[in-house]
Amino acid sequence: MFLAIREMRHSKARYSLIMVIMLLVSFLVLFVTGLARGLAYANISALKNMPANYFAVQSDADHTFRRSQLTDTELAAARSVAGEANATPLGVQTSTITAAGADVKADITFFAVDMTGMLAPEVTEGAGFTNEVQGSAIADSKLEQSGVTIGSTIRDQASGMSWTVTGFVKDSSYSHTPVVYINQLDWQAMKQGTVQGGGGSGKANAPYNVIALDVTAAQAGQIADQLQSVEVITQKQAIASVPGYSAEQNSLMMMIVFLIVIAAVVLAVFFYVITIQKTSQFGILKAMGTKMSYLAWSVIGQVMLLSVASLVLGILLTLGMNMGLPDTMPFELDGQTMAMTSLLFIGMSLLGSLISVARVAKVDALEAIGRTGA
Amino acid sequence: MSAKLVMKQVTKTYGEGDGAMTVLNHLDLTVNEGEFIAVLGPSGSGKSTFLSAAGALLTPTSGEILLDGESLRDKDKGELTELRLKKIGFMFQSAQLLPFLKVEEQLLYVAKLAKLSPKEAKVRAAYLLKRLEIWERRNHYPEQLSGGEKQRVAIARAWMNKPAILFADEPTASLDYSRGREVVRMIADEVRSEGKAAVMVTHDERMLDWCDRVLHLEDGVLVEAHSLN
Repeated sequence: MFLAIREMRHSKARYSLIMVIMLLVSFLVLFVTGLARGLAYANISALKNMPANYFAVQSDADHTFRRSQLTDTELAAARSVAGEANATPLGVQTSTITAAGADVKADITFFAVDMTGMLAPEVTEGAGFTNEVQGSAIADSKLEQSGVTIGSTIRDQASGMSWTVTGFVKDSSYSHTPVVYINQLDWQAMKQGTVQGGGGSGKANAPYNVIALDVTAAQAGQIADQLQSVEVITQKQAIASVPGYSAEQNSLMMMIVFLIVIAAVVLAVFFYVITIQKTSQFGILKAMGTKMSYLAWSVIGQVMLLSVASLVLGILLTLGMNMGLPDTMPFELDGQTMAMTSLLFIGMSLLGSLISVARVAKVDALEAIGRTGA
Repeated sequence: MSAKLVMKQVTKTYGEGDGAMTVLNHLDLTVNEGEFIAVLGPSGSGKSTFLSAAGALLTPTSGEILLDGESLRDKDKGELTELRLKKIGFMFQSAQLLPFLKVEEQLLYVAKLAKLSPKEAKVRAAYLLKRLEIWERRNHYPEQLSGGEKQRVAIARAWMNKPAILFADEPTASLDYSRGREVVRMIADEVRSEGKAAVMVTHDERMLDWCDRVLHLEDGVLVEAHSLN
């Protein structure tokens, strides 16, 4: 490091330049990662915050909740394995609501849940309601921003039913729409019309979409075995199957991967050019008795110093930027993601520096003799 | 008096078969303690090959080389590097100082490689720089020095680790006559005061006043040049 540090001290402009480039790229990597995470969270926070780790869906539904239909028979079977409390039905319905007294028209997703079960929403403002009350709903706080308040009446355009909002929950989105929680009583009322209209018997309970499970992997397998035409998927699989989620995340992921590769290539090329310029210096150093390992650590040390320093600045810049972001721009960067991204960034930088090390290894000490050089 | 450098029947051949070119041809040389030797020869006569072989940078095709009594044969690359660090001081053409190290750091760097304690290194560097009258410039970068000053730093750097022998590759090539002579005189002074040996390769016959022996490299062997002095 004796050489590495003094060389950077001597060529401040040169090394500052590469640091600025790396700083910008690392900032971009972190920022896009944060946005990707933020978008993901804004998309499916309702699913992510559910205490369920598995979901039972109809096997021909492609893991998509809204395509799946399950009945009481399947629920009973699932409960026989998982226990009463660990299997609970969930109805999912995307719709558009209007609010009386406010100029609001919003796309939302109804989640019909058991208000005493594990999927019951955790109200952060206002109050909850029981399974026996008809015409009450709990909404995601995003609806509050669009003008809905506690006590507002919201009306479902498709079914014509109305609910009074009794409370709000935080971070509850599905497919980028705010979730409105209703109980099974209203779900049945909402669905009976459809079932009857479709020519069904009307007597049986309207089907749910999925069954949320809080079970072990073994139990999940057991349920899947017991029920024909039912598939048990993990929470991760369920999230990945939310319409639009994968497409969104894949594009962002591709950007991040490219950014990291670009950062590594830029750094590798820059150091390679510097190394070529210094070929005669390395020859002299070797002739004087400098070990190759010392020179290799010198090159790697420089890359390490530069990438770590620019990464630290990049992290500070990202955190600063995050504070200035408007709430409507979803951004989320937890420590673990940040650490992973940083490690990847430094790892790629080191990988790039190996090209230069290989070049230094090839320099022959003989080049020092008989050269007029600089 | 012990021999610092012994070269026995050293041959170096490049290429194979008909195209083979013999640069060093059964060359013999002994340099004793306190001796300052000049090797003359026109360009292309094999001076660089001779210096590279003697300086443990190039393995000869045949023959044996002993540095300070130690044979270079059967040493691997790492051992040769270590040997160059401890036993040999190099002076290159145009000084070849590291552009990003200050004068004093040039010396401290080689001391650090040889694992000298920092305190010892400082004392030794100060001693050498003062003797070579370059102490006032110790905090300057090479780019701020004149050609003669650079070569003086190079002399100090070469002597830093108390090597057994110093090899100088055209040390006066980039200097004018009087500065060149000054540099050669300083090398000679150091050889005598430190009780070491030095071999200077040059093509400039005006620089030989302080040399104990002058040899010509002709057809791959060294010939004593009585006629010159």
